Amino acid sequence: MPLLQAILDGLMLGGVYAVISIGLTLVFGVISIVNFAQAQFLMVGMYVAYFAWHFLGLDPIFGSVISFIVVFLLGYGVQHLLIRRVLKAPEVAQIFLTVGLLIVLENLALILVGSEFKSVQTWSQNESLEFAGLIISMPYAIAFLASGVAGVMVWWLLAKTWWGRTVRATAQDPMAAKLMGIDPEKIYRMSFGLGVALTAFGGAVILPYLTVSPSVGEQFGVLMFTVVVLGGLGNVLGAVVGGLAVGVIQSLSGLFLPLQLQNMVLFIVFILTLAFRPEGLLRNKS
Amino acid sequence: MRENNPIQTAHIHQEGRRQALKGLSALGLAGVLPLSAMAQPKTVNVGVILPLSGANAQFGINSRQGIELVADEINAAGGLKGLGGAKINLVIADSTSTPNNAATVAQRLIAENECCAILGAFASSLTLAISEVTERRGVPLITMSYSDQLTGRGFKNVFQVTPKGSVIGRAQFNFAAELSGGTSKVNKVAILFEDTAFGTSTAAGLRAAAKDANVEIVMDEAYPLGITDVTPLVNKLRASKAQIVFPVSYLNDSLLIVRALRQQKINIPIVGGSAGYVIPDFAKALGDYADGVLSICSANYDLDTVSTERYRKRFNAFMVHEAVEHAVSLDVLIQSINAAKSAKTEDITRTLRSMTFTEGWAKTMTNGKIKFDESGLNIHAEPVMVQWQKNELATVWPPKFAKAKVISRNV
Amino acid sequence: MKPSKLLIALFLLLALGLPWLVSGEGYSIRVLTLLMLFAAMAQAWNIVGGLANQISLGHAAFFGLGAYTSTILLIRFGLSPWLGVFAGMAVAACAGALLSLPTMRLKGHYFALATLAFCEVLRAIANSWSSLTGGPVGISVPFVPNAGIGLMQFNSGRPSYYIMLAAVVFITWVYWRISTSKLGYELRAVKANVDSAEVIGIDTARTKMLAATISAGLMGACGVLYAQFNFFFDPDSIFSLVGISVRVALICIIGGIGTVAGPIIGAFFLLPLEEIFNATLSNKGAGVSQLAYGLILMGIILIEPRGLQALFQKFMNRGRS
Repeated sequence: MPLLQAILDGLMLGGVYAVISIGLTLVFGVISIVNFAQAQFLMVGMYVAYFAWHFLGLDPIFGSVISFIVVFLLGYGVQHLLIRRVLKAPEVAQIFLTVGLLIVLENLALILVGSEFKSVQTWSQNESLEFAGLIISMPYAIAFLASGVAGVMVWWLLAKTWWGRTVRATAQDPMAAKLMGIDPEKIYRMSFGLGVALTAFGGAVILPYLTVSPSVGEQFGVLMFTVVVLGGLGNVLGAVVGGLAVGVIQSLSGLFLPLQLQNMVLFIVFILTLAFRPEGLLRNKS
Repeated sequence: MRENNPIQTAHIHQEGRRQALKGLSALGLAGVLPLSAMAQPKTVNVGVILPLSGANAQFGINSRQGIELVADEINAAGGLKGLGGAKINLVIADSTSTPNNAATVAQRLIAENECCAILGAFASSLTLAISEVTERRGVPLITMSYSDQLTGRGFKNVFQVTPKGSVIGRAQFNFAAELSGGTSKVNKVAILFEDTAFGTSTAAGLRAAAKDANVEIVMDEAYPLGITDVTPLVNKLRASKAQIVFPVSYLNDSLLIVRALRQQKINIPIVGGSAGYVIPDFAKALGDYADGVLSICSANYDLDTVSTERYRKRFNAFMVHEAVEHAVSLDVLIQSINAAKSAKTEDITRTLRSMTFTEGWAKTMTNGKIKFDESGLNIHAEPVMVQWQKNELATVWPPKFAKAKVISRNV
Repeated sequence: MKPSKLLIALFLLLALGLPWLVSGEGYSIRVLTLLMLFAAMAQAWNIVGGLANQISLGHAAFFGLGAYTSTILLIRFGLSPWLGVFAGMAVAACAGALLSLPTMRLKGHYFALATLAFCEVLRAIANSWSSLTGGPVGISVPFVPNAGIGLMQFNSGRPSYYIMLAAVVFITWVYWRISTSKLGYELRAVKANVDSAEVIGIDTARTKMLAATISAGLMGACGVLYAQFNFFFDPDSIFSLVGISVRVALICIIGGIGTVAGPIIGAFFLLPLEEIFNATLSNKGAGVSQLAYGLILMGIILIEPRGLQALFQKFMNRGRS
């Protein structure tokens, strides 16, 4: 029973990890940038939702929409002002620009908001559903549903709309896209914005069962990268599968190993995946 | 609760900064002149290192308030009598929440501010790091942290006003058993603890006591201090079928755990391990759910309301144990300086060890007196069991210290 | 910019004399000592980051391995830290070699990610293997009063400074030797184009692994020295991403990645700056100085990724024309 419970919890968590990671894989797939600061946008999203709750009394489920919008705009700006400048630069520049961004975001939060942990109080925190002897915590369930809805929307956006097609075209061949009248710069801005906004959205919906602090991103950083590497960088569907897998692995690790090692299994999976995937990991856009 | 007074903090901090800048501008030449060559100092610097930011900030602020209360009272009453009325100058620094920073802060404080002693740093992990510095510099460190390691390394300059963590842990178990009507009534127990020095020491005591009583420990789990999702812990707890849980936590984790237990409908009694379970924010966050929760503690304000009520009047909250213990720390330091008629570190250390303190704030600790042994432990300190009763903490066990009857809710 | 013999001599003279300008007990000597240590660490990173163009975001892993190795050996077997330096170097070097096996073929970002993950693995292990490492509580170098030089414990701050100075001089010498040797030539070939390098007969795998091993070993030695100097550390501080891994990379980049003088210039620039922030804004010190790192890092990347030396050259050239 505890095993089934752990697997169930893992799947619920995994759904959220999926939505958080879709953003990361999207950014890579379209812009070819590995955004080391992605998890910090999650933190920003969480804080936005927290303050929406604190000052406006909004449940984080609604606050997540605000997070999405705010971080989308933030991402749009970041892409235009910063990322754009290193797209053609050597790798060392690309890596350290986003690493620098990671440090800046985290410490800005620390200075502006302070380091105390903040948590919301929602009706869902004391509730749970019982189902065949298994308990589903309400915040987990809500987060999972919200993630599902968001995931479907993203899929629809990318697969079924005209805009989605232009994004995929740009990702595949920016030169050709330009020749067809698409402005790659604009696509990059929208994609980066969308990518970080999705991660922020994910952060907001998990606020009810987590506490937010400036360093909360650190827990999700390597986790997100494990998800996208498992699923294939740039592969949105892969991020979903990877997310669920990571959720379950993490949950089972928590059951069998001491808690401090919960993420270690993930990291090892991560390194091994990187090592044994053929030829430095081909991009797989979809 | 009185808000963080930025002006006061800045003022005290600026003292330290001014001194630091003076020292730096003289390129450290101040270190060349021995202190004894100067005339009687008009102020005596006391270093205070506490977590004023980070997860433990609330504990740090409470502790600082306890210290400020005593410093202001003494200064208002004429300062240090043994030094001709010299004033106490608190040099307060934020340890932050990492042991490494705490050690660096201690280095800086000692090198730049000529502190006669250091008080701090609430969290055992921080205090351990600081003690490495103070021991090597021969500066006395007076603390209420209680990890066993603090007094277990043969250090000569550490003074701890509270009982050892393992002793507290043992009492946490034994008192709970006594309150339930004997260990035969307690069958399967769960121990949850944050994994730094504080939790580890206390858990060691819990474990030992349970083993001695032949009670089955069905769960014994350390969790990382910054834990944000306690669901895996709670899953394990449910799977273990424990009948009583002994969590040892700071504040964020205590709230997470209690909320999670509530949400998962696990209604077994909770007996906390002080820190997060006895701070006013615990009751504030949990409301009615906090009422009746038991916790072990190293001191409590109702043991000497004459002194502790002065805190309540000034800061609008009851004097939580870390505030009491830090007030006590400063007071024994002051009494030592007065008795030795000197603010030199060697004299203070010698006097701290030789004196038995029965006056002033020393009376608020258990047994009304304090005496430090060879390893720095206060031999008269004993743990007490407290219970939340209508947003106040009442000492309910053992009978010789109890000020109120235990209300039945959890036990 | 190749430093002339005169500049080197001047620098050494200055470096040897610095500790006598400040008190041996005060805080300033601590800052100078850490400055030298971080310059040494940055130079070690430079071997893979600069010569081999492999951006490691996990160098703290080797730093921590060195620190834990020597300290555990000291505590359990009373091994003198002077010997512990070799032990720490050996363990870290092995780890470097081991890590380079699966990561060798990885390109830029992926290599960086893998090294980051490796460091996190070590941090998690250090946090949970309490019986060996003390766990999250951290570990301290035992204090033996008046033990003296045998146990690398000193009463004044100056000997530590000279030890760190020796470290940075030695590691810089190693860097220079590699750079001007066959290995350096091979590394540059690999950096330019891996496939072409293979074609002309360079065993790129062996080359990369050699560089990784040397860099890791030297970083481990620095870890031992740090442990003896600070006499206390815990997993979160010694395996820190921002505090160690990114910091040494930043120092190297600011000074000029791939140059001999880069790490030293970077350390002289960054560490005093950090201290100024700490001293003037001590209340919010932690956040502000790290924020400054982040901004400086982003700034230098956007303005001149080749570092201060290149910036200076540009400035000089502009002045001339």
